[in-house]
Amino acid sequence: MRAVIELVNVRKVYRIGGEEVYAVNGVSMSVRKGEFLCIMGASGSGKTTLLSLMGCLDRPTSGKVLIDGIDTSSLSDRELTDIRRDKIGFVFQQYHLIPTLTAFENVELPMLLKGVPKAERERRAMELLEIMGIAKAANRKPSELSGGMQQRVAIARALANDPEILLCDEPTGNLDTKSGEVVMNLIEEQNERGVTVVLVTHDPDIAKYAERVVRIRDGKIVEDPGIKLG
Amino acid sequence: MYFQLAFRNLRRNGVRSALAVIGIVIGVMAVASIGIFSANLKTSFLSSFQNVTDEVLVYPAYNAHFRHGLVTTSGVMYIDKRTAERIVRLPYVKDYAFVKDTFTTARHREEVFGVTVYGMDESAVKKLFKAEKGILRLSDSCVVGYDLADRLDLRVGSRVEINGHKLRVSAILKETGARFDVNPNNAVLVSLRDYDRIFNTKNEGYNFIVVWVKSLKDVSLFKDAVEKTVNAREKKVEVFELKIIIDQINKGFSFVSRFLMAIAGISLLVAGVSILNIMLMSTLERTKEIGVMMAIGAYRTTILKLFLLEALILGIIGSVIGAVLSLAGGYAVDMMILHSAKYLLSLTTLGYMLEGMFFGLLTTLISGFYPAWKASRLEPLEALRYE
Ligand SMILES: Nc1ncnc2c1ncn2[C@@H]1O[C@H](COP(=O)(O)OP(=O)(O)OP(=O)(O)O)[C@@H](O)[C@H]1O
Ligand SMILES: [Mg+2]
Repeated sequence: MRAVIELVNVRKVYRIGGEEVYAVNGVSMSVRKGEFLCIMGASGSGKTTLLSLMGCLDRPTSGKVLIDGIDTSSLSDRELTDIRRDKIGFVFQQYHLIPTLTAFENVELPMLLKGVPKAERERRAMELLEIMGIAKAANRKPSELSGGMQQRVAIARALANDPEILLCDEPTGNLDTKSGEVVMNLIEEQNERGVTVVLVTHDPDIAKYAERVVRIRDGKIVEDPGIKLG
Repeated sequence: MYFQLAFRNLRRNGVRSALAVIGIVIGVMAVASIGIFSANLKTSFLSSFQNVTDEVLVYPAYNAHFRHGLVTTSGVMYIDKRTAERIVRLPYVKDYAFVKDTFTTARHREEVFGVTVYGMDESAVKKLFKAEKGILRLSDSCVVGYDLADRLDLRVGSRVEINGHKLRVSAILKETGARFDVNPNNAVLVSLRDYDRIFNTKNEGYNFIVVWVKSLKDVSLFKDAVEKTVNAREKKVEVFELKIIIDQINKGFSFVSRFLMAIAGISLLVAGVSILNIMLMSTLERTKEIGVMMAIGAYRTTILKLFLLEALILGIIGSVIGAVLSLAGGYAVDMMILHSAKYLLSLTTLGYMLEGMFFGLLTTLISGFYPAWKASRLEPLEALRYE
């Protein structure tokens, strides 16, 4: 199996005052195509930072991030944006929908940014909302939707440009068990369709969905069944 | 959809956006109203001069110099008849009027008063002026100006005595605006023959000649011709183009108008600062959203354009309302100062409205640029994490 994401000795350093904080400290790992990977770790262990590096939302202080074999360190901001738009879908804990847009328009937005024609955009947005089981809520604003529904809109948005990779940062963190289950099933469904899923959580029940669980602590991998630790 | 996004973002902070628009409205209105008013003031002022652009005045080249505490004069005080004939025979001359004038005292009944007396042909008087009362005739009679008649209660048929010569008033002229050639309002107009009889000036030349050229471009040709012929050996006459005087007035007016508009522009500056402030607040509040947009694939330039679009919408709404209201503003100032708004509806007004709009838009774009640029420079992850 080919690696869609490969991290080579990746570090991310934050400076607070004079102190250096290693949010990610020398991580090497790869994510295979079609895999369902879970990253677990305590609060502050660097999960979000790691996921952001995989999603080209940020550049590592050192080390390399390869997406589909492409070394992203040599890419411009614009090219990184293209990768995020076309290859990656993000699902966040706080849903992060655009409050001024309806559910439908939120799903349309990534396609608008890509320049997809209006008719195709609308067809695809409706299709995705149907898959997520929230077609009825298409014309509602995020503030008029429950958390579970908002997260389903967010997943539909993440899938809009048919990405290879779905990066989810505690997607059920703000949801009750039942809507959490619905959301997880939808994510699992996408994985079964062939989408690579990397999911951050500290809930062991959620981790059960994954084929492989990577544990990190203080920015370092402490357990990864996928690679041998030296 | 970008437009909708921008528009809804503006609506989300309705009060704030409305305040920004009001700022622009006031700024545009101030700039355009003042422009409109200045233009109307100019039109109103110039309209009191007759259409004089094809008119040229020829004066004797008479100069006074102060030297060693003495006044010395050079040249002559009038244009002699031979020279005058040569001038009016030049090509380009369509029509002309020889004029003699002097300031003297006259008498009506028991009242003695100072007046300007003009001696000129009846045809020239008819060309230049219209009678309010009576019929314009200058043989053994005179024509008086409106103000003079009003002041002395002169009527058609009254008798005016100048230098011992009694003349019957044949007509009273309509009131005229300020003129460069003959100012009849406070004057008595007589025929050249009577003038010479009254002042005993039969052998003297004319004080000035009014020349009408065939077309506007002939003005400078005529002037050159005078220099080459009459003035060839010695400078006998001086040619004044009224067009140049009007041009000077125009220049002066537009300078003042620019100056006033610049002062009004300060209100636009204030509006610009308020837009800057509002947009900066908006980018700060929407940091997270900007992060989301970037995460799902918005280029930095897209963010920049989106915020500029918001500024542009504010600018367009404010400028259009401001321009329309400036018409009302122009009307108000016109009525207040000129007591008439008859010059309001013109192409110039439209021009100033467009100019006001242009500066309104420019202001919003300039002040919207910094916040938009700042928004576009955010780091996506930091923006997403912003609380
Ligand atoms: N912008 C930043 N500046 C300074 N330190 C930061 C910054 N972002 C993250 N950190 C630090 O890096 C470390 C890892 O943060 P990260 O958000 O990746 O952890 P996490 O595992 O996602 O935690 P949580 O479970 O609470 O979401 C933390 O100690 C955090 O304080
Ligand atoms: Mg986190």
